[in-house]
Amino acid sequence: MHDTPDASSSSHKGNSPSSRTAIRLTVNGVSQSIEVEDRWTLVELLRDQLDLTGTKIGCDRSECGACTVLMNGQPVYACSQLAVWADGADVLTVEGLAHNGRLSPLQQAFIDHNAPQCGFCTPGQLMTATALLNTIPRPDAAQVKQALVGNLCRCSNYNAIVEAVVAAGAQQGGAA
Amino acid sequence: MKALTNINARSFADAVAAASAATAAGQAFAFSGGGTDLLQQVKDGTNTADVIINLRTVREARAVSVSTTETLIGGLVTLTELAGHAALSGPWAVLREAAASVGTPQIRNVATLAGNVTQRPWCWYYRNGFPCFKAGGNQCFSVHGENQQHAIFGGGPSYIVHPSDLAPALVALHATFEVTGPGGQRRLSTDDFFVLPSQNPARENALGATELFTGVRIPTPAAGVVSTYLKITDREAWTHAEVSVAVVLHVDGDRIRTAGVVLGGVAPIPWRLTEVEQFLCGTVLSAAVAGQAGALAIANAQPLAKNGHKVPMTSAAVERALLRLALA
Amino acid sequence: MSEAVQPLTTIGHVTPRVDAIARVTGQAQYTNDIKLPGMLYARVLRSPHPHARILRIDASEASRLPGVRAVISHDTAHVVWGAGAVAGGRQYNDAIKKTTLQRRYIFNNPVRCVGDAVAAVAATDRHIAEQALALIKVEYELLPFVLEPEAALAADAPLIWPEGNLCPDVHNNFAPVVSDHGDIAAGFAAADQVFEQRYDTGFVHNAQLERRCALAHWQGDTLTLYTPSQGIANCRHDMARDLGLEDRQVRVVCNYMGGGFGNKNQNQDADLITATLARHTNAPVMLEYSRRDDWLGMHGRWPTVQQYKVGVTNDGTVTAIQLIGYSGMGPYRKNAGGIGGLELYACPNRYRALSPVYTNRTTSGNFRAPSEPHGVYGIESMMDDIACKLGMDPVEFTLKNMLRPTEEQPFTNYSLDACIQLGVEKFDWQARRKAIPGSDTGPIKRGAGFSFMMFRAALGMSSAIVQVDARQRYTLFVGVTDVGPGAKTTMGMIAAEALGVPLSQVDVVSGDTDRCPYSVGESGSRTTIMTGMAVVEAVQDLQQQIAAHGMPTGDDVLTASATPSPTIEGKMRQCFGAHFVEVEVDTRLGTSRITKYVAIHESGRIINPQTARDQIRGAVIQGIGQALHEDLLYDPASGQPLTTGYYRARHLTHVDVPHIEVHFIEVDDGYGPFGAKTVGESGIILAPAAVANAIFNATGKRMTSLPITRDKILGVLR
Repeated sequence: MHDTPDASSSSHKGNSPSSRTAIRLTVNGVSQSIEVEDRWTLVELLRDQLDLTGTKIGCDRSECGACTVLMNGQPVYACSQLAVWADGADVLTVEGLAHNGRLSPLQQAFIDHNAPQCGFCTPGQLMTATALLNTIPRPDAAQVKQALVGNLCRCSNYNAIVEAVVAAGAQQGGAA
Repeated sequence: MKALTNINARSFADAVAAASAATAAGQAFAFSGGGTDLLQQVKDGTNTADVIINLRTVREARAVSVSTTETLIGGLVTLTELAGHAALSGPWAVLREAAASVGTPQIRNVATLAGNVTQRPWCWYYRNGFPCFKAGGNQCFSVHGENQQHAIFGGGPSYIVHPSDLAPALVALHATFEVTGPGGQRRLSTDDFFVLPSQNPARENALGATELFTGVRIPTPAAGVVSTYLKITDREAWTHAEVSVAVVLHVDGDRIRTAGVVLGGVAPIPWRLTEVEQFLCGTVLSAAVAGQAGALAIANAQPLAKNGHKVPMTSAAVERALLRLALA
Repeated sequence: MSEAVQPLTTIGHVTPRVDAIARVTGQAQYTNDIKLPGMLYARVLRSPHPHARILRIDASEASRLPGVRAVISHDTAHVVWGAGAVAGGRQYNDAIKKTTLQRRYIFNNPVRCVGDAVAAVAATDRHIAEQALALIKVEYELLPFVLEPEAALAADAPLIWPEGNLCPDVHNNFAPVVSDHGDIAAGFAAADQVFEQRYDTGFVHNAQLERRCALAHWQGDTLTLYTPSQGIANCRHDMARDLGLEDRQVRVVCNYMGGGFGNKNQNQDADLITATLARHTNAPVMLEYSRRDDWLGMHGRWPTVQQYKVGVTNDGTVTAIQLIGYSGMGPYRKNAGGIGGLELYACPNRYRALSPVYTNRTTSGNFRAPSEPHGVYGIESMMDDIACKLGMDPVEFTLKNMLRPTEEQPFTNYSLDACIQLGVEKFDWQARRKAIPGSDTGPIKRGAGFSFMMFRAALGMSSAIVQVDARQRYTLFVGVTDVGPGAKTTMGMIAAEALGVPLSQVDVVSGDTDRCPYSVGESGSRTTIMTGMAVVEAVQDLQQQIAAHGMPTGDDVLTASATPSPTIEGKMRQCFGAHFVEVEVDTRLGTSRITKYVAIHESGRIINPQTARDQIRGAVIQGIGQALHEDLLYDPASGQPLTTGYYRARHLTHVDVPHIEVHFIEVDDGYGPFGAKTVGESGIILAPAAVANAIFNATGKRMTSLPITRDKILGVLR
């Protein structure tokens, strides 16, 4: 349910406040009930309202992948989902990968293989790779590249990122 | 972003009603399937919607159902679903390959068939906010400007290329386009659905202002149908086609009975190569035949000052798409 | 004298980054992740015109929008940005910044490119700030514009600055930059054949993934600035100078930065705008750039035009090299605009006249090895072409003509022969190179190309502080920000090695001018050498103190600091490299695909093999992007940029990049920390040249314009 803006404010298109809607979603296993502005993107909700700043904004236009999160298990660009569209969804961010302080095998593989350079694309690469390892436990390099094609790295540390994901798969056969 | 109101539609009827209500209230609206492209345009100001009508909450049009004569694909099926759908194997390769070639997994996970077919052009003038035909203006900036990515067929007075990968595949498959709106439901042939700039430079399809494209009906491919989608892009992924080809061949023994050959990336609408299709009928696919088809494909090409490279690319693409099927 | 090296205790071993856990868990705090109580959000209004005079700005409606706290523009905030335009492009020099004639401010009038900042808003919410921008009314008088450097130097060109469009040198003289060695006329006279060719290269945006942002907060007359900076010490000093403060009144903090790749080793106008808004509103202000703001408001590698004339004798000896070059600097000259490459050759007769030129395009600035990849592409394409015309293997031609140590100019060590030889072997050059370029039959053609370089590995001043406490934990204070190469880890490893303790016993404190001493800043491939030397000397000092006084007890600490400024008397210190590339060109589609890439580097002793290898691999891939894709296209009729952003500029994705094979030849020349040299910029220098030479070998067609896009390949083949 939401409040629609009244007629008087719609005449000042530049000034009208945005509609607000109450939504419920699960983020990293924790249930959240929150009122959002309809114009907020999911990544704004995560970073600003839930203080989960691990997810980054690189372009805000679906052109770079830095904002990748898992929504109902699938990688999506959080900059290009309105928060209201995530009502009822199950969202996983980079902060949700480690359990009780233990890094996932994929996170450890990233460390071991020097996958983060500046580190800005790293959360997005981790989320997409986590989803991949959940469907293809032991991907080869070609499969990793195809799955992660929607995550840019300007440091261009592509070779190391692929090596890390392949190693994580070979070692564990899964992301859990 | 500007102030927005999101309306979760529960059905297509709901969505159409919301669209009509917004229009009556003097508000601009947009239908949103996946929403990735829409949000870009809203952020850039090239889409002025105040009201977003969200179709993710619509239950309809999410299925693929195959019968012996006809296959129905709902407009809200995602590109990920299309690319891997169990019912769309074998002769449906052209559609699977087209869907798989769009964007990235993150985009395909939410993007819909309907959204992909009806997306606005990616011309760099239009998307950078130039007041061109596609933005409701009265000129095209590419025709005497930077037109490296623009049309070599069917252009004028706008020279955009149709941005959809699914569209050439659907045209090659003889799809019928299902539309719903305030006046009810209607069906459009591909000839009627896609609109040339010479007919109306402001739009790419025949949808009314508050109408929705809800799905396609495709004659189920017969045994002996093989198909493929070949897409050439400026980097290996995440890019609209420079040139693409959708080919559907009905082969009997080793002879081609009928052919569908439709280009993407080179014209304001999916560009059916009627003469190539006619030429192929009755032939046995060989390297020589593929080469002749490639040459025939560009016989009437009309390049602009800077997009001449698309002509040999188109010829090579048609030839290679056919050769792919010859080897299969 | 160089010796083959073995790994030491810590140095030379694969070492995970000390902050790796923070990076893979989302705990690493980048500037835009920081929130302060009462923080406002800011946005910048940018010129929609390539060249225009601002007649009037009416911000009244914007100011009245609920939530807006301040609106500033050129008439209300006249703040100079000293690092934004400098005579001669000479950064890090206060004296020159003070005498620079053509000053850049945070808001300029006239505006001189699409994207030039016009005004800025601070509001309680970022969406309100954006809405306020739309309410600012600006009246412009349009002025004529010019986009290309040669056109900008024509007699009737629109004037971007009153003095004309040629950029002034450090003395505010308006003349091309000339370097003249030997006797160029005699050199051409001595030649049997003279070759001429023009090359041009496009604009390549730095395109780091973190969009520019800044968070400023005043407490009384003290400013705290959180900003993505490659050099917190330089940024702090620039801020103080521009705002009329003392250094001690400014604190700059950057613990994590999402890439920089050049010219972020000083303050930016974003920092000054944010600080000014924070002063006006008496609140912390977070300025966030959109990706388009970053593309148009930051900088990228200057586009160039290079006219070469080279004389050779028939046996393949180069007798004369001449370059007439033009660099498009945009409307403000942040950096030098150099075109390097001539100095790689032994030829004694070398003449270069370089004109850095103002244009009404987005500003050019340093991007990884700022003067090198485009110039090396130009000169080594030229030489590769000449070698082919003389019937010589390009490797053979290079060995004959490359610069070598002489009695007059000795080197600390020299490895170019070894690099080339190793590359020839690892790549299988003889098998992959086509003796006749373009000789593969069929439309898919393969070929191989090669390029070589040396690059400065100079010593210089920097600082470090090291402390030890009673538990024998060492703390190293260095003013680095670790933009990606792993400087924290490298400095920690140097300290650990020098101390003779494991890395785990060393904590590295960085990224805060309140806690760290001066650092030269992470640019120009200097941190490992210069800050690394400071670390070594600080450790030596500490060890002397420990020897004299024993380890501290209780709450005591022993502290040592060092600010060495070492020099090498008379010798050149260089790192060396050779790249070998095999490419496959589809001549019907114009697509180029790299099928093998071998990069050989001698960068002294390698401190951390893993981060060093990935610096090379990453730089190479950036160079491939420059060679094949990246550019910024402008519409000539309107002066509007058409291809901003990652999608339009076709940045390489996972499926575009080949595997890069890297081999280091390690030597210890006795200089630098444990013999280390530079790595960070080396990898990019050779990639465009090697790729372009490979495309020539595959197709028989010389590509004289970067990027080598398919329309250019198809154009020369028809």
